[in-house]
Amino acid sequence: MFDFLAYPMANLILLLYNLLGQSTIAAISALTLLINLLILPLTLSQQRSARKMQEFQPELEKLQKKYANNKEKLAQEQMKLYKEAGINPMGGCLPLLIQMPIWFGLIGAIRYAIPSTPLELFQFSHHIYKWLPGVVGLVPLQSTFLGMDLGQPPSPAQWWSYSLPVLVLVTSWLQQKLLTPATTGDSQSQSAAMNRQMQIMMPLMFMFFTLQYAVGLSIYFVLSSVIRIVQYYLIQNGRSGEKVDGRARSKGQA
Amino acid sequence: MNRFWTWRWPIALAVLAALLLGASGCASGPVRATSWTGLTVVGDVLYAADLTQIQALNAADADSLWAFPEDPEEDGRGTFYVTPAVDEDHVIAASQMPPAGFLGQPRNVVWALDRDTGSLLWHFDDAASQYVEGGAIGGGVFVIGNSDGNVYALDVESGDLKWTFETGHRVWATPLIVSDTVYVGSMDRHLYALDLADGRVRWDFPTQGAFAGTPALRNGMLYVGAFDNRLYAIDAETGTEVWRFESGNWFWGGPAVYDDIVYAADVEGNVYALDADTGEEIWHRGLDTPVRAGLTLSEDGSRLFVSGQGGALYALETARRGADSWRPVESEGQALSTPAVNESIVYEALIYGQHRILALYVENGGEVWAYPNVVEE
Repeated sequence: MFDFLAYPMANLILLLYNLLGQSTIAAISALTLLINLLILPLTLSQQRSARKMQEFQPELEKLQKKYANNKEKLAQEQMKLYKEAGINPMGGCLPLLIQMPIWFGLIGAIRYAIPSTPLELFQFSHHIYKWLPGVVGLVPLQSTFLGMDLGQPPSPAQWWSYSLPVLVLVTSWLQQKLLTPATTGDSQSQSAAMNRQMQIMMPLMFMFFTLQYAVGLSIYFVLSSVIRIVQYYLIQNGRSGEKVDGRARSKGQA
Repeated sequence: MNRFWTWRWPIALAVLAALLLGASGCASGPVRATSWTGLTVVGDVLYAADLTQIQALNAADADSLWAFPEDPEEDGRGTFYVTPAVDEDHVIAASQMPPAGFLGQPRNVVWALDRDTGSLLWHFDDAASQYVEGGAIGGGVFVIGNSDGNVYALDVESGDLKWTFETGHRVWATPLIVSDTVYVGSMDRHLYALDLADGRVRWDFPTQGAFAGTPALRNGMLYVGAFDNRLYAIDAETGTEVWRFESGNWFWGGPAVYDDIVYAADVEGNVYALDADTGEEIWHRGLDTPVRAGLTLSEDGSRLFVSGQGGALYALETARRGADSWRPVESEGQALSTPAVNESIVYEALIYGQHRILALYVENGGEVWAYPNVVEE
């Protein structure tokens, strides 16, 4: 279904593999960096959106209390607030949706470049861009990293390969925690409960999926989360002194 | 909009979960084959990996002689793909059994069966990954490569592990045993000559591409293709290159040799006839289909059988520069494994089709039988 993305990505992995000393882990890492650069405007917008939501949380809470019995009015007032503040309510989930095809493409690309079944390899043999320098004879790529097979899901035979899905869990949890708008005031509110739930559910889901797929995919998830975390701190440091932090502000008002 | 805002994450999560489940195959219907099934014909019997069973069929009419397991519903032994290896007393094949539980792993098992009855003699399940192609029997030893990168040598009578040889990548090629030497290619881009007795390396031949096909032997010379688009002629004794022939794409299936001519096909469907001594091209013919399978010659060497991915079986006249001996026989499904042939019948294995085996007359391509015999209502 996502082969239209998987084939170009698999060929990009081949090119990077050839350029980076025939190292699969280096190729996947470089591809992760490239993808994150490509979607940087989206992730920045997601982070900005989260930050603004954080800053306007007290106002939102006030509206929720004020219009507790009038949902329609509450929605109108919230939309008005979003509009005035320049917040896109879709800003948080849009990057996530846009990244989905990339994940599916990457799942396919790893499956083709380091195939675990012969049918996948045979299929890919007809989609290698022969005009790319040095790609003839590269497939299947060297698949071993720290004794793990990057083209296979974690397995008891390589028990240490389970550490990668665990790392996926930890880094994506940290990322979620940092990037999800903090809720204040009524900590029992539906929104707060949802956010807390999501901070646990999303990382668990990512871990679940990386348990099912090739270990190479875990590398992408871990590195992507680390990049977002670094990005977050860089933005935070960049704006420290410019504005009052949303959390501090809301605490001050509480 | 407020409701959407509140529920944005659960909605995103649900969409993500649905899409990931779809992509992972959890939400799909019947399991699709991930490899191709192989055939071996010995005398009057055709031994076939038939997905859930190993079948011994009467080669003339497809009557079932035995099947292992007899009832795969009750006594499932996993999925059988690899070409069965057959000697006087044994039929040896391998399957992958599904994982037990969420975190369970598939079991990869070699099964040795009594050639006459199909009863189980022994099994071996130490390999960590999938068997893709079959093994070879020689000198009382069964040798098979595995996706875990190892070559396993088992005592053919007891199933005891005699030795393993670790390569640097998956081993998807069926080994060739000649006298006391095992020749086997690996995805690590090496062709190895191993001592049959202990697995010691006699020589290894490095190239720029993976090996996935079985070498062919003639007059002390090995012929084998690789994923670097080259077909190599290698001295079987020393492992030195004698000549190489370059094509436009990978060589996957093993070549065939008859008299002084080597026949090979690349995955784009170009079939080559080369001088076995010099590697010079005698003729080549492009088929309109990708070719994964190895080539098979009729017993008298007059016809070359090629299975195309699209399901067609070609019979090329070797004396007429690969002209069709008879019109290619089109079938539903994909034909990715090497055809098997006896004196008068050629057999083609299919996946994803109505029939899984097709038997055709060597002389004219007429259908002898199709298995399973599906009756139209």
